[in-house]
Amino acid sequence: MAPDIFTYKNPLPQTSTESGVLAGKKVVIQPNMSVCGWLTDAGSLALEGFVALEDATVITRLRNAGASLIGSTRMSELGFGISGDRGTQALCGGEADIALITDTMGEARVAAATSGLFGFKPSYGIISRLGLIGLVPSMECYGIMAKSPEDIIATIGAITGKDENDFSMPDEDLPGFSMPEESPGTKGVSGVIKECLSILNDTELRAFESVIAKIEEAGVTVKEVSLENFRFFQAVHNVIGSVEASSSAGKYDGVRYGHRAASARNWNEMYLNSRGESFGLLVKAFLFQGAYFQFENYPAFENACRIRRRLIRDTEKLFEHIDVLALPTRRLHHDPARAATVRETYDAFLLTLPANVTGQPSLQIPSLGLDPGADPGLQIMSPPLSDARLLATGMRISSIIQGAKKT
Amino acid sequence: MKYEAVIGLEIHVQLNSATKLFCDCHNRPGDQPNQNTCPICLWLPGALPKFSREALEKATLACLALNCTIQKESAFDQKVYYYPDLPKGFQLSQHHRPLAKNGWLDILGEDNDVKRLRIHHIHMEEDVARLVHETEGRTPVSLVDFNRAGTPLIEIVTEPDMRTPHDAMEFVRALRAQLRYTGSSDCSMEQGTLRVDANISLRPEGTDAFNTKVEVKNMNSIRNVADAITYEIRRQTECLESGEPIVLHTRLWDSEKNVTTAMRGKFSGPCIPDPSVPRIVVTDAWLQEMLNRLPEMPGQKSARFLKEYGLTYEEASSMTQEQELSEFFEEVVKENLPPRKIASWMATHLVPFLRDNNMTIKDTPLTPKRFAGLLFMLENDVINANAAKEVLTRLLSSDQSPEEIVEKGRLRQVSDNAELEALIDRILADHPSDVEDYRNGNPKVKGFFMGLAMKASQGKANPKLLKEILTKRLS
Repeated sequence: MAPDIFTYKNPLPQTSTESGVLAGKKVVIQPNMSVCGWLTDAGSLALEGFVALEDATVITRLRNAGASLIGSTRMSELGFGISGDRGTQALCGGEADIALITDTMGEARVAAATSGLFGFKPSYGIISRLGLIGLVPSMECYGIMAKSPEDIIATIGAITGKDENDFSMPDEDLPGFSMPEESPGTKGVSGVIKECLSILNDTELRAFESVIAKIEEAGVTVKEVSLENFRFFQAVHNVIGSVEASSSAGKYDGVRYGHRAASARNWNEMYLNSRGESFGLLVKAFLFQGAYFQFENYPAFENACRIRRRLIRDTEKLFEHIDVLALPTRRLHHDPARAATVRETYDAFLLTLPANVTGQPSLQIPSLGLDPGADPGLQIMSPPLSDARLLATGMRISSIIQGAKKT
Repeated sequence: MKYEAVIGLEIHVQLNSATKLFCDCHNRPGDQPNQNTCPICLWLPGALPKFSREALEKATLACLALNCTIQKESAFDQKVYYYPDLPKGFQLSQHHRPLAKNGWLDILGEDNDVKRLRIHHIHMEEDVARLVHETEGRTPVSLVDFNRAGTPLIEIVTEPDMRTPHDAMEFVRALRAQLRYTGSSDCSMEQGTLRVDANISLRPEGTDAFNTKVEVKNMNSIRNVADAITYEIRRQTECLESGEPIVLHTRLWDSEKNVTTAMRGKFSGPCIPDPSVPRIVVTDAWLQEMLNRLPEMPGQKSARFLKEYGLTYEEASSMTQEQELSEFFEEVVKENLPPRKIASWMATHLVPFLRDNNMTIKDTPLTPKRFAGLLFMLENDVINANAAKEVLTRLLSSDQSPEEIVEKGRLRQVSDNAELEALIDRILADHPSDVEDYRNGNPKVKGFFMGLAMKASQGKANPKLLKEILTKRLS
């Protein structure tokens, strides 16, 4: 019950539904997910004291599935990075079975990897964003962390699906989720990206290769593939992400809610002072970058959008020959919890942010038993909307890794 | 040096869809302040824009009515600026990919030649909130009314094809007529549902350069548009003649003082694609459905009236400005009356009455049949023009038939020779010196006698007959 984990604890967490796929499951969320009557400040002074007026679509669906909403855990300001996040502590401390966390550059997967947990970022657009107080609309989504892949599958099954109030969801049919059956057939082909491996240092490479060796031994074919422009993912995310963040945060003016500066001579000064006092250093730096590209270097933003489309195409092509992509989840020497600058933050999420740029689903699988400090984690990705297949593959790979450890 | 004006217009039209563009709030800006608001149009944290299909349909009809090509794909951008009338720090507008491009409207130029004025593009956007500036005690306060925030607009951007205030005025008239037919907007400049900004620059006559332009805003009638442009052309001419440079800026029209005054430079921010509003992708089937919904447009109808009924260009255009009037006109034509006579009576007597009383035909008891009855009596010399005006006034306020009105009001024309001869003889006898004057070569006296005779008959004398008798008696 450490008070510093929660920003809000629900006095009545039980829901009346006792059936449902999440019946009996304890779920924690973050204060950027709207629950009517809960403090919803997204970890920022800019929303100081803001209480949501309506439930997010996801909250309604969690309740309908029988989940117990335990409360909101502390989060980094506006969901940028994970230095202030406490969701994994709630999971490891047994206070929750499932934690929701916005995944904008890999937060769910990286946080899970540092704590030996499963972390899942679904395909872009399969979960309604209504009620999510986001920062980078074209890249962020609800991420799910849990101790078991079964809990992740149950959660995504409960919260995914069309929402007539979210017009940005894709027109295609969304994937259905059920517990995967044992498939006796082919073990599949995993691809590792050559240009990604070349970034890793020796320790990271050795740890990753030992995991890959285990799944190869179990009969999974592993192929090296090339994604020449892999190094651009970071810059593309940074430019587009900061521009969208600058726009999204434009509404925080201290007029209708949130912190308002004590004095100002006119409305313009009130904006400047209120915003200046509200945002923390890290977010402020990120918003400044975005404003720079918006106002001073728009061509760079246009280039980033063009390169993003190219990256999406190139990545899609890789799946003509493989079933999933396998990458480490995180860098060992870039601690996301200590990232204090935009650059350090981006370095810590270097390996997870490609899925946010392309909108693909991605799952972090822990190597249980390995010291989390020495485990870069294993992340698998598959094409957009193939979430169900990816999770099934993830369960298989997870049991291979665990089985290998037992012997 | 003689200068020529180059004029382009940017016209905002408020669509009359039931709801706002991105939420389900009523599109009724005039209601009690902040009554029509919700988390979406207030842009509270966690809100997501929806999209009004009706607003898209009305915008599309408007674009088709202005002869534009609807784009297969269009999308919304964020126009970034910070101002208290914008709850989210940007305005959603189709900057990079507008709904429609390449339209035109025909007008009649001052030289009586038909002139085609091109439209560059039309895009959709949301309106911003209304600011109300007041004082509380001695402290000035600004209040924000979000009823208007998020209501749907289209912005029509013309090519700089206009050269005179007349061109601009005729363009706005033609545009208003076309748009009203579609039912997409009330298009009232007085109510602010049609707002015209004019970009004006000058160049030496005979050259084709585009010089620095000045934008003029805040005109609230079509007349104002012409006046503001006239003023601005004069102001810029004086600047050029005194060697003062023209600088790019915006001016406000002051309709009381009839001048434009410079306003503070407007900051123009960047426009970035919005990631949350869905892209608009138009299918052929849907576009066909929209085309099928368009009625015969005033431009087409006017051309048909010209051909079918032998009206002049002005008559045809005035008979088609409003759908209701044009339909009324055609109903009366069916009663076998000369079309030009109908058009002339509608334009000179009926339309001014409706305008002065701020009414439409439907607000009055007048029907095509009753109007035709009146014109029949006029055609057949049962009544004269004077009496006809009187009858029309009564037709517009009572249910009586025109025949009844004529009988009861004793308005029937006097065409009895003997009666009129007696009347004239009496007048001539009373004014011997004037008769003398006429016979000495002053023809004006004849008009004086006509007036006296008309008056004596209480306006009922058949003027043609009266004139014949008078001429005979005087000679």
